Amino acid sequence: MTNNILSLFQLCDSNLPTGAFSHSFGLESYIQEDKVHDQETFFQWLKVYLHEQLVYTDGLASRFVYEALTEGNILEIWHLDRLLTVQNLPRETREGTQMIGDRMLKLTESLYELPILSQYRAEIKKKNAFGHPAIVFTMVAHGLGVEKQDTIRYHLYSSISSQIQNAVRAIPLGQTAGQKISHNFIPELNVAVDKILQLSKDDFGIVSPGIELSQMQHERVNIRIFMS
Amino acid sequence: MTNWTGTLSLDLENRKGKTVAKRVYFQGALKVMRPIYLDDSGQVCYYLLNPGGGYLDGDRYKMEFTADEGSKVTLTTQSATKVYKTPKSHAYQVTTIHLKKDSYLEYLPDPLIAYENAHYKQKNIVYMDRGATFLSTDILTPGWSPSGGKFSYDTIQLVTEIYVDGQLGVFDHIKLVPKQQSVSGLGFMEGYTHLGSMLVVSEYTNNALIDELYEVIQLEQSEFKAGISKLAVSGFSIRILANSTQVIERILNNCHKLISEKWLNRTPNSLRKY
Repeated sequence: MTNNILSLFQLCDSNLPTGAFSHSFGLESYIQEDKVHDQETFFQWLKVYLHEQLVYTDGLASRFVYEALTEGNILEIWHLDRLLTVQNLPRETREGTQMIGDRMLKLTESLYELPILSQYRAEIKKKNAFGHPAIVFTMVAHGLGVEKQDTIRYHLYSSISSQIQNAVRAIPLGQTAGQKISHNFIPELNVAVDKILQLSKDDFGIVSPGIELSQMQHERVNIRIFMS
Repeated sequence: MTNWTGTLSLDLENRKGKTVAKRVYFQGALKVMRPIYLDDSGQVCYYLLNPGGGYLDGDRYKMEFTADEGSKVTLTTQSATKVYKTPKSHAYQVTTIHLKKDSYLEYLPDPLIAYENAHYKQKNIVYMDRGATFLSTDILTPGWSPSGGKFSYDTIQLVTEIYVDGQLGVFDHIKLVPKQQSVSGLGFMEGYTHLGSMLVVSEYTNNALIDELYEVIQLEQSEFKAGISKLAVSGFSIRILANSTQVIERILNNCHKLISEKWLNRTPNSLRKY
């Protein structure tokens, strides 16, 4: 069991070559507008990004995918893959996420012999699915026997920790400041997981207008260090 | 559940270049006015109205529209949708739209005004054939309260699902709960008070049009913030944050005008009645 958690930690590492580090998911728009410019304003952004976007999309999807895997309801997973993709209205964010999902799938397929990963690949090839990192992550975690709430927690952690690394480079913040944010953010992750476990299907895909708008606006940003 | 406060259904077809109603039906607190032809394009315009003047506690409304091949229609409202306080149960509206190949339907309602402690849920579901065009707009105001405070409503929740040839192509879900979120702040309304949206699904969408719309949006002189982006299916979405209904209407009207000129070869008339 402990070994399995360590295996999952490998996927949480922000150095995992999925390309996640090239995507700021709208953060760069806030940085360019000077709305996010220091530790405090970034922390504020990160809270909204987690509690108002990730919770209702990637986080809730992770829970539903985990439950579908447990029940053997594979069709539900392809439905969630579509829902996650089409609810992502900003093109860069949607296509970036798809790219990350694709790379993560390729990588995990080479690390694990989980039939569900090959099935996911086949659905993508047939254009029945798009590919999403939250789904790949959940498939691996479920395959490793990691519990549901830990799966959600680690997945959110990995998304948040790449954003912290991005902020350290882009704002920029000191490395120690980045670590402090990671440390102080742990309670937020726990709140998010508790909330996800309480939500229902009706809550899926709620977006925060400002966060979404910043992701759309990023397409028109001329000088950029991130792809989204 | 059959206990609707108001229901309305309208089926349209193209009769020799003119769009006409095949069937009109309404009951209770929903009504459709006589068809209006604003020019000789054959496109029909219908005003929808709520004779009660607003949505009350526990009200439930159902609308259904069907546009046959080649029909072209504008749907709008006669005035803002007002949702009064809902102490017991939220007000709900569900709209289902079926669009056949080569049909064109635009849904351009007036703004939504939710009063103090109002809870409103709206669901729009569109089933369209590839080759049909759907365009819709939405304007959310900060609502109304006797004390003049903004965002005093309880909840506004808008869900839109668009299926193209039976497959989900767009899913949009906005839920604002001012008492639980810092709605006016970073990530939400960014200090603005009004939110506008436009959703368009059409095979005619291309990058040049999106660039042109982006330029048209930038012409607005007042303070605002806007984004435009391509959807997963052929189409695009626009979001606008501003401080008044008028600014959002102006931007949406300018975008709508450009689209109408490009796709329908017509300049739309003003729909507003005040």
